[in-house]
Amino acid sequence: MTAHAWPPGRTRAARTRPGGRPPRRSRVAWWYTAPTLLVVALVTIFPIGFSVVMSFSRVELSSSGFSFTDWSTDNYAAVLQSPVWREALVFTVLYTLVSVAVELVLGVLVALVLERLTAARGWLMALLLIPWAMITVISAQLWSYIFNSAYGAASWLLGLFTDEPPVILGTPASAFSAILVADVWKTTPFVAIIVLAGLVTIDRSVYEAAEMDGSGPWSTFWRITLPLLRTTLAIAVLFRVLQAFGIFDLPFVLTSGGPGTSTQPLALLGWRVMFQNLNMGAGAAVAASTALIVFLACLLCLRAFRAQVGEEEVR
Amino acid sequence: MRRRRVFSPVHLGAFVIALLVALPLYWLAVSSLKPGAELGSLPPRLWPQNPTTEHYTEAFADYNFARYMLNSLLVATVSTAGVLALSLFSGYALARLPMRGKRPILVGLLMISVFPTVSVITPLYLIEREIGWLNSYQGLIVPYIAFHLPFAVWIMRNYLLRIPAEMEESATVDGAGPTRTVLQIIVPQALPGLFTAGVFTFTATYTEFLMALTFNSEDAFRTVPVGVALFGAEFEVPYGTIFAGSMAAILPVVILVLVFRRAVVSGLTSGAVKG
Repeated sequence: MTAHAWPPGRTRAARTRPGGRPPRRSRVAWWYTAPTLLVVALVTIFPIGFSVVMSFSRVELSSSGFSFTDWSTDNYAAVLQSPVWREALVFTVLYTLVSVAVELVLGVLVALVLERLTAARGWLMALLLIPWAMITVISAQLWSYIFNSAYGAASWLLGLFTDEPPVILGTPASAFSAILVADVWKTTPFVAIIVLAGLVTIDRSVYEAAEMDGSGPWSTFWRITLPLLRTTLAIAVLFRVLQAFGIFDLPFVLTSGGPGTSTQPLALLGWRVMFQNLNMGAGAAVAASTALIVFLACLLCLRAFRAQVGEEEVR
Repeated sequence: MRRRRVFSPVHLGAFVIALLVALPLYWLAVSSLKPGAELGSLPPRLWPQNPTTEHYTEAFADYNFARYMLNSLLVATVSTAGVLALSLFSGYALARLPMRGKRPILVGLLMISVFPTVSVITPLYLIEREIGWLNSYQGLIVPYIAFHLPFAVWIMRNYLLRIPAEMEESATVDGAGPTRTVLQIIVPQALPGLFTAGVFTFTATYTEFLMALTFNSEDAFRTVPVGVALFGAEFEVPYGTIFAGSMAAILPVVILVLVFRRAVVSGLTSGAVKG
């Protein structure tokens, strides 16, 4: 090896060096990346494949291990025909759409306030990080106390305006709202901070020009701020949609999927079929179909991902 | 510039936001201090009449909360260390070294980082059952490392792209090998990136529920989220005890996030984000 076999710095510079690209650096690159790729492949990609295989078979659990038999598409047929699965799909899709829409609107509002706030901005940001870092299960227990029909603060408050206190977790619609409130509390700060980052990159002179042209605050927001935030909002929406689609913790603790199975998301259904009914194949079919929906959504968003990578020119 | 007024819509908005965010946190704190009778009193009391620390004693003396916290801290700390060690080198390679297939690797990692956990939980469960890793620390640490690596790699790569290359060059002139260059030259400069990746990984692993619930259901190996979720008897949920334990359990992450809040905000705003 010569002395310049390991020249750091820009690859472009290395490329134009006489003698072409030195071989050793790319070998080092693979040595550095291999452990990460190996761990990710073994523990995430391999199980995803495993899961697909499992969804096409009957899994027998025994004390010594497990075995696959009966290759068929029965699991999928059973899942697709199951009204419980359809209910879970409808709930998950509806919940994803509603929660992301609400969090996006509130997140933009909070970000607009944060942007204009001069004093105490740091304090408010710090406060907003606490729900983000909160253990979801703990906030779910807290909300289940607040929404408790016998002595919950929210039930008591609502009861002041109605003849008898409502059973918030007792009807599908109000249980849905309860999950929504808990999720909005935890997640809106996250959206707001992302949106704020987009807001502060907008050049002030654009606003000044708009003001000179006689644009009021309302039309400035719709015609200038919002279009300039497009990329930021797309990223926020993308990550929130993917997260919301996998929702598990909150319904598990707050509603147990109830009343009935009206607030049971796909992830909870899959988990229950696998670990409570011990029907691994069918559970895997639920999980695999959920993953497939997510994967298709990802493919649709791949352009957005690519744009992300492209921003800083992959070298 | 706008003049600052005492009462502006912005201040009112900020006040409302702060109130809405803080109120549930306040309720958690104050409920952990209420004696059992007051927890069920109507109308709810904003302040406990007879504040008590009995729930804290219960959570740590009668129940296993100390163990849950210890488990969570251990698993989260080791996972974070593993993620940082691996992502430092792969992030460096992906940011700085010439390599084929960077784009597919980066896009693939980004997609994995948002994949729903439930889709891999059964195969991992069966594998861990087969090799006897259920109800063990490594049974959580290894999947945690794998699932939080992709995001950390992205953070490290994005951060390292911004560091100027001069220092590395002079280290090479001095004859330092690649690994020594990374450890001695890159690490000190990449510290903010490491903080960001570290805080995100720690928070995510400390709060993770689905895998912990599935793999480590035995009481001695439960983490805080599992302990909190499965807490209580069939008919009566002991809210006071749960809240007291929860107050203690969220303290480490809250302190961590507040201390490193710049790192958290920079991570959230770096674009590639996982909540």
